[in-house]
Parts: sequence; C-alpha cells; structure tokens
Amino acid sequence: MRFLWISAVKDLRRLRREPVTLITWIAIPIFLAVILTLVFGPHNSRPTGKLLVADEDGGLGATTLVHALEQSPLSRMVSVEKVDRKEGRRRIESGAASALLIVPTGFTGAFLGNAPVELQLIRNPSQRILPDLIEETLGVLIDGAFYAIGRGAQQSQAQPLIQLKTNVVKQQSEQPSGFAAMLLPGTLFLAVFFVAGALAADVWRERTSGALRRIATTPAAFGAFLGGKLLAAALALGAVGFFGLLLGRLLLDLRIANLPLAVLWISISGSGLFLMVMLLQSAASSERVANMLTNLVLLPLTMLGGGFVPFDWMPQGMARIGRFTPNGWSVVQLQAILSGSAAPLAFGGAALFVAATWIACTRVIRRNIC
Amino acid sequence: MDHDVVRDGVAARRSIGVVPQEIALYEDLSARENLAYWGGAQGLRGAELRGHIQEVLDLVGLLDRAKEPIKQFSGGMKRRLNFASGIVHHPKVLLLDEPTVGVDPQSRVRLLELVREQARAGACVLYTTHYLEEAETLCDRLAIIDHGSIIAQGTLTELRAMLAERDLLLLTGIFQAEAVKSTLAGLDGVEVIHIDESQVSLSVSDASHRLPSIFAAIHSCGEVRGTTLKQPSLESLFIKLTGKELRE
Repeated sequence: MRFLWISAVKDLRRLRREPVTLITWIAIPIFLAVILTLVFGPHNSRPTGKLLVADEDGGLGATTLVHALEQSPLSRMVSVEKVDRKEGRRRIESGAASALLIVPTGFTGAFLGNAPVELQLIRNPSQRILPDLIEETLGVLIDGAFYAIGRGAQQSQAQPLIQLKTNVVKQQSEQPSGFAAMLLPGTLFLAVFFVAGALAADVWRERTSGALRRIATTPAAFGAFLGGKLLAAALALGAVGFFGLLLGRLLLDLRIANLPLAVLWISISGSGLFLMVMLLQSAASSERVANMLTNLVLLPLTMLGGGFVPFDWMPQGMARIGRFTPNGWSVVQLQAILSGSAAPLAFGGAALFVAATWIACTRVIRRNIC
Repeated sequence: MDHDVVRDGVAARRSIGVVPQEIALYEDLSARENLAYWGGAQGLRGAELRGHIQEVLDLVGLLDRAKEPIKQFSGGMKRRLNFASGIVHHPKVLLLDEPTVGVDPQSRVRLLELVREQARAGACVLYTTHYLEEAETLCDRLAIIDHGSIIAQGTLTELRAMLAERDLLLLTGIFQAEAVKSTLAGLDGVEVIHIDESQVSLSVSDASHRLPSIFAAIHSCGEVRGTTLKQPSLESLFIKLTGKELRE
C-alpha cells in the first residue's frame, strides 16, 4: 500500500510540472461549450421538445395512441420517445423532456370495453409552449378516439370515459439555462477522455524509458504501481471535474445540485474510462498502434456519448445507443447528479467497472510490457 | 543472497539492483525525487531512505544538482543517476546492462570507478558490455555470449590462453576464397579463422615476422588493401571464436 502512495505522488508531481497541460484539460469543456453557444445562440431553446411515453399497457390502444401522436402535426416540434415510468420521472425531474405521458396497464382493455380509464400527463414546469401543445394535441386525439368508436352519441352528455389527468412535477433542480450548460456534462466527459487518454499513454513512455522493466525487478507489487497511477488519475480527473463545473456555474449559469457528489462521480467514472483507455494502450503491440487504436475507439465514443451533441438533440436511436456507451452512461448519471436525482447504484456500478478494468490492466501490462 | 528467486522472489529482488541500458528515469522529476521513487520501490522509507539518497548522490557527484529536473542533465549525468537508482538500496547483487553506452570519457571513467567501488564493498556485479576493454579491466570472470549462448568463459588469463598467445591478423581486399585458403594452409603457424571475397581473418603466431610470407602467398590469388594486426585480447578471442567482428 505504501508503494501505491509513492507511485501516485510520483505521477502527481510529474503532472504538476506541466501546468499548461492541466489548464488546457480544464479549459477544454468550457471552451467547447462556449464555442457551441456562440454558434447556436446564447440561450437558444431546443428546436424540438420531447414527449416521453411510459407505455405500461403495451396493448393496441396504447400503440395506436403513440402512433397517432407521431403522425400528428405536433411531431414537427415534439419527438416521442418510449421510456419506462422510472426513467421518465427521472428525466422529467431533471428537465430533460417537455412532458411524460403515462399509459396505465389495462388502457386498451378499458378503451375497447367502454370502461373509464385515466391517462396521466406530467408536464415540465420550466417549459410553457411545448407542454401546452402536447396537452392540447392529446386532448384532441382522445376526443377523436372517443367519438371515432361510435360511443360518443350515447354518452356525449356524460363524463368522458378517457380522462387526461395533468400534473406538473416539481423539479429537483431547474433545467440548465442555456445550450452551453446543457452540453457541458457531455463536454466535461469529453475532457475526461482527453485527460484519460493522455494519462494512459504515459504507460508507453514508461515502457520506452525502461521504467516498467525496472519496476518489475524491484520487490514493489505491480498492482500497487498501477494503483498509484489510478489514484493520481482519479485526483487529476476530480480536479478537472471540479474546475470544469465551477467554471460552468460561473460562466454558463450551470445548475449544480450537489457539487461534491458530481466531482466524486467524475473522478470515479473518469477513472474507469482512464483504465479502459489504458487497457487499449497496453494491449497494442507498439505505441503507434496504441495511439491509433485509442483514437479509433475514443472518437466514436465521444460522438455517441454526448461529447459534441446533447442526447436530446440526437436522433432517438443514436441517443439510445449513446446512453449505453461508458462515457454516455457517465454523462447521464452526471446530469442526474446535477439535477439532484443521483442514483447510488451508479456509483457501485462505476466502482465495479474500475475494479474489473484495473485487474485486466494489471494482467495485460505485466504480460505484454514487462 | 540466501533467497530463492522463484520461491522467494520478493526477498530476492530486494537484494538485487538493476541498472538497465535505457535511462529508466523520470525526466520531469529531480534527481532526489527519482531516487526517492526507486528507493521507495525497493522498500526504503523515512530517514533510512533519505540517508541512502544523500549517500548515493554524493557517490555519483550529483549532490549539488539534486533538486534540478533531470531533463536539464547531460547524458553522462543521467547515466550516473541511472546507476545511483540501481544502488540506492545497497544491493548484494548488481546487474549492469551496458551502463556506459553513449557517455563522455570522463563520465565513463567515473562510472567504471563506481562499479569497482561496489565490488570492493562486497556486491556481486554482473556487467554486460560490448566494450571488451571494459570487461578486461573490470571483471574477475568473463563469459562471451554469441546469439544468446555462452561460447567461452573463465578468468581473463584462462581466456587469453585459448588464443595460445597468437596474434589476430585481419586482411581486407579482394580474394579468391578457396585459392587463398589452400595457399595459406601450407604456411606454418597460420590458422585461417574466416575467409570470404573481401576479408580474411587469420590466427598467426609471431605475426610481425610472418607478414612478408603471408603477403607473398596471397599475392597470386588476391589483392590486399588493408591490414590490421591485433595482439591477443578478448576482442581477438571473440573474433576467433565467432569468426566475426563484434556487433550490436
């Protein structure tokens, strides 16, 4: 354990001797966010809204309703995305969508059986026009369906059988105020990837200089050597996260519900990304191949993972894939932490990922490099 | 060492110091920080570590430059620090892989003296080098390795005896290999080690007196353009054993 600390101090000292690099790393996300804001406008609202649909019924009635929404004139301004109730609540609370429509279990049966049923629409309170449009469109569709099946004649004076109940959810944190603030979590992880890539490439410098082989001749455990590198990386990534968020708060009016937790998340999940890149680097047969391999993997991951374009701006399919990439998942969790709806399980998942990649790295480096 | 390197690897490695051919150091750290790191890797801590660092910095003549990042050091200074990093924990066995490659003559002399000091202090030193004169002056026992195999070993005296006090004569020019070989076979005290169309290597007793007869014999089947006469040495032994000049 003692050597782990010695190894970490060594890497941190080396990092401190390159202040320009550190400043550049911290500045990357802010720089990108500001540039994109200048391109798209300072407080540009999103061109389209998002209606999340939690279809708990799964029957014909629900499918028809979703299809009708997608075919309506509303679809030019609002895209529809199917989610489960929990994910929908989380995203609506974090302000990442205009509204959430919950289609309850038994909707189709009730609809076809002429029984009363209630649809629930949860509105994003920070938006006005798009949730209004969604609510009105849904009202029209429900009325249309009500009369279309020919039962309206008998019950036109009575209470409609399908009711739309509208709620306005209390957001735990307000929506980011501008495009740059919305993009910042993604660009923060873009910076994390830059830093992780640079730190992971250090293993090749150490191999070339003979330092790795020399370590192998000492009684020091190789795992401790790598653990020291991991600790140094975690601290560096935490620093990048802290200053990135702080600058985001000051310059871009980014809402941060829990700064320490957000920094901790960037540090832990960033460490996992660092080890992932190091694994790629270590598995390569030469430094050039390692760099090519890293770029080949990182470039699409940063594109998909919300590094350049927020998920809400992406086509649905791409956004769905992007949220499952390691960095995309980290961005989603960071957004949740920033909005105050952190998932504790995410920390456990990230810690497991770090442990698994650390073990893999130790084995691969010992086998391939020493 | 009293430790089995397989069953008790950690303890064995604690007794070993390695000075690799590469400058296995961190350029952006100072000399003292590098030594602290490598000493720490060997298990040294606190006052003991600080004492050892001070001692080896003094030994390699870098005490006054201890706080500078080593990227500002000359090649010779880095080599000395590389050496210091291998001995900071006072190893019982010191493995040196060409520690003088690419250094200036003063640093080379200093490094060789440092190696002798380690041996005098009781360390067992295994020294790998392509500079055979270094091996001649430093080592008690020598082994010549070619293509990964030991082809000769012993003390310097024992190895010289293998040459039977014969000189090594290297001729360069244009030769008809087979004809030269058969011509020289008739000369007393001349042994052909290697022959091709551009070079002839001969092991000759009392070469300076036999040169005229060798030139006369070769005259009809080749043209000599260069001659090198070498006294018995490790290098001539190496050439005799391998039939080739020393290579990387």
